[in-house]
Amino acid sequence: MEKGLSRLIGRRWADLAATRLMFVATVFVASVAVFIGIGLLLKSWPILEARPLSELLFSSVWCPSRGEFGFYPFIMGTLWVTGLAGIIALPLSLLSALYLAEYAPNKVRALVKPALDLLAGIPSVVYGIWGILALSLGGISIGFNVLAGGIVLAIMVIPVVTSVSEEVFRTVPRDIKEASLAVGATRWETAKHVVMRASLPGVAAAVVLGFSRAFGETMAVLMVVGNVARAPSSVMDPAYPLTALIANNYGEMMSVPLYDSALLLAALVLLVMVLVFNVAARLALARVQRRWA
Amino acid sequence: MGRRKMEEAIFKCLMVASVVIVVGVLLTMIVMVIWRGLPALDLSMITQTPKGGYYLGREGGILNAIVGSLYLAIGATVLAFVISLPVALFLQREYIGRARFAGLVRLCLDILWGIPSIVYGAFGFIIMLYLGMRASLLGGIVVLTLLEIPIMARAMDEVIRTVSADLKDASYALGATRSETAVKVVTRQVLPGILTAALLAFGRGIGDAASILFTAGYTDRIPTSLLDPVASLPLAIFFQLGTPFPEVRERAYASAVILLVIILLISIASRLLSRRLAKHVVK
Amino acid sequence: MNETCISIRHLSVFYGKSVALKDISLSIPGRQITAIIGPSGCGKTTLLRSINRLIESTDETRVSGEILVDGQNIMDRRLDVTALRKKIGLLAQKPSPLPMSIYDNVAYGPRIHGERDRKALDRTVQDCLQTVSLWDEVKHRLRAPASRLSVGQQQRLCLARSLAVRPEILLCDEPTSALDPVSSQTIEKKLVELKKDYTIVIVTHNIHQAIRLADYVIHLYLGELVEHGPANEVFEHPKEERTRAYINGTFLADIKFDKELDLKGTKCPYNFVYAKLALDDLAEGNILRIIVDDPTAVTELPRGMEADGYEVLNSNQLNKTDWEIVIRK
Ligand SMILES: Nc1ncnc2c1ncn2[C@@H]1O[C@H](COP(=O)(O)OP(=O)(O)OP(=O)(O)O)[C@@H](O)[C@H]1O
Ligand SMILES: [Mg+2]
Repeated sequence: MEKGLSRLIGRRWADLAATRLMFVATVFVASVAVFIGIGLLLKSWPILEARPLSELLFSSVWCPSRGEFGFYPFIMGTLWVTGLAGIIALPLSLLSALYLAEYAPNKVRALVKPALDLLAGIPSVVYGIWGILALSLGGISIGFNVLAGGIVLAIMVIPVVTSVSEEVFRTVPRDIKEASLAVGATRWETAKHVVMRASLPGVAAAVVLGFSRAFGETMAVLMVVGNVARAPSSVMDPAYPLTALIANNYGEMMSVPLYDSALLLAALVLLVMVLVFNVAARLALARVQRRWA
Repeated sequence: MGRRKMEEAIFKCLMVASVVIVVGVLLTMIVMVIWRGLPALDLSMITQTPKGGYYLGREGGILNAIVGSLYLAIGATVLAFVISLPVALFLQREYIGRARFAGLVRLCLDILWGIPSIVYGAFGFIIMLYLGMRASLLGGIVVLTLLEIPIMARAMDEVIRTVSADLKDASYALGATRSETAVKVVTRQVLPGILTAALLAFGRGIGDAASILFTAGYTDRIPTSLLDPVASLPLAIFFQLGTPFPEVRERAYASAVILLVIILLISIASRLLSRRLAKHVVK
Repeated sequence: MNETCISIRHLSVFYGKSVALKDISLSIPGRQITAIIGPSGCGKTTLLRSINRLIESTDETRVSGEILVDGQNIMDRRLDVTALRKKIGLLAQKPSPLPMSIYDNVAYGPRIHGERDRKALDRTVQDCLQTVSLWDEVKHRLRAPASRLSVGQQQRLCLARSLAVRPEILLCDEPTSALDPVSSQTIEKKLVELKKDYTIVIVTHNIHQAIRLADYVIHLYLGELVEHGPANEVFEHPKEERTRAYINGTFLADIKFDKELDLKGTKCPYNFVYAKLALDDLAEGNILRIIVDDPTAVTELPRGMEADGYEVLNSNQLNKTDWEIVIRK
């Protein structure tokens, strides 16, 4: 009796302790993003105090040794490369995912799907290597520029976006697809009006997932994008994205005043861009869903 | 009528074309990298450390980077596992209660997921400066852990959410506490999914270069303590590619093949694992 | 008036290697209600889905034979399936509202087929919703998502959606099996009203429903056609022994009950437990009749019993509150 009781108390206590532990872990993990934000902000404070924000964000002059830090070329570099990757990757991924989910024979799907999942796990340096190899292939070199970076980045995110969207498309119940077919819709019309609409939230999540990765991708892009600190004005211009700026210069950042602060500000800007993108996508989605639901 | 038929045909063509492009390009990518890397790959690459510096050396191998990458990724995956599993379990309704809080935590995880790895690297670097640490195995492991947590926790959360309430109720009905249920029933039920999540994160960890660029450093030796700097495969590839010597660049391609093979093995392992373990799951 | 509308010749359907329908030949009369009856898995759904060629959307199916609709072979590869499906509406077993508003659900078909005129669409939507008596319930929230309707309303919406493309034939696959008794009655009433304009083919497990509705009956058994003919002939003087057995097995006019149990006033799941206890006392093949007045029991109890391997022979409304459920051990 006595023993049973103490055992019971022991179990209760263990449960309570475990719960506390889990709670602490959860709170810790949830606040990591805040810590990162605060850490970067503190470290980039010196340069934010020394220079007006508008100059930092919109000046095109980057010359750390003379104390001039204009991030405009790098921000534009990131936007150009990611935007181009989006333009290339989105249609390809969504069309492929629709094909795999709605049209492809089982055998094709069984072959392609695991391959995509495998490719989604391939490290970005490998994509970068391929970029370099492909660029130096034959006479039709396109050079190290936004186009090369955009293509490599697109190819990197395609497996992720395709694979996740395909899964989302396949969760659309058969019943409603057949309901659409039964009133005489073609398969494409069913895909367009019913499948895509029903899976919109999931697909949006897949796209945000893929492009968060694209925004912050460093190595693959760094290797092919040219790294010239001038805002690109066409896809054939070289670019210098924020990620590449940080990665290329970390070695010397201690030697020049304010340089370290500037590079950490670059990291902060990148973080803010990814956050804004995430939040904007979520808000847009919530609006669309409220209208359709 | 003709117009609708045509639309269907056009889009079907477009879809087939995209699949062909996607699969084609990805396959060519792998084939090209392997094709280029295989000639430079020999046994010494994986059994010796570099001779004469990784930057200039044309002799020896990249054992330092292979071992370093394994140290980093295994260390980070173990740490991330220890932190992510409790988080994922805590996200179950019986613990977290209000859906609001769960939504907030999931949002935070999604945001962490999206933070660029170079930002993790920069953040880790600040912390290490603050603590007066040099680039080291420990620093690399900690930063990779942060990078892996959102991947692992989110994937685990997804599988844990699939556990039916009935199964848990059966456990509660027998008088089990929440933690006993979480550990003995829930975790066991979705073990394949949990291990797959860990392998997924391991794959991301071993392939990431940007986050350990500042934090793990690079060296020709195999580290003997947590505070030694450590080499890693992705950085080995990156640095070797950056040299002006063609022979060294060849070695970068060979290193890429090694990295690819490791990733392939992980992928196969996770497939086999989930198939084998799935047998013990109550349907 | 009774001209043949659909005639099926030597139809066989295979799923992979297994045969779902074996060499079926029959004719379905126009502007009448034809009921397809038969035990579970005998190929009723397969037959229905062959008629609008939805069967093709299942992987690895093979179909041979011909189906003539108004004299045209619909198995012809050159035939435009979308036009065929416009002509043949389908009401599925479970309500399947499309992920859009109530209005858009009904307007979906006409829009697909090229109707752009707002006025015409409005009129079609209103007409169809009125036909299924849903208009008054939803006219103020046409823009609300269809998923927010009750299940019974959703099924009526699906009927309205099928009607909106002005089909000539309406196929219904157990259209009331997911519904409560009152909604089932509404749907049944609508089908009877619709038969003056439409050819209706309905699959049903409920022999009473077949008797109430059908003018013509098709009995399938394990993929074979056992018997088909006008309803009164088939029900009153079945030519085939198997049909007689099937009808008697489910039709309870002269069945004697081994035990009767009055469970009025008990709620789900207690009535289910009492019924199971009573069944435990009975021998294999014996028949139990229970009376319940709990509305959830009417749907849930038979389902539970079937899941536990008992055969539910019938569930039938006796009066305003009471239902009888007959179960064979
Ligand atoms: N997609 C499929 N793949 C393989 N076999 C199938 C498939 N669909 C149905 N079958 C088989 O074909 C046979 C006929 O199925 P069908 O759905 O037509 O039966 P049913 O008469 O409608 O049954 P129920 O009354 O239970 O709905 C069954 O034996 C079933 O197992
Ligand atoms: Mg059926």
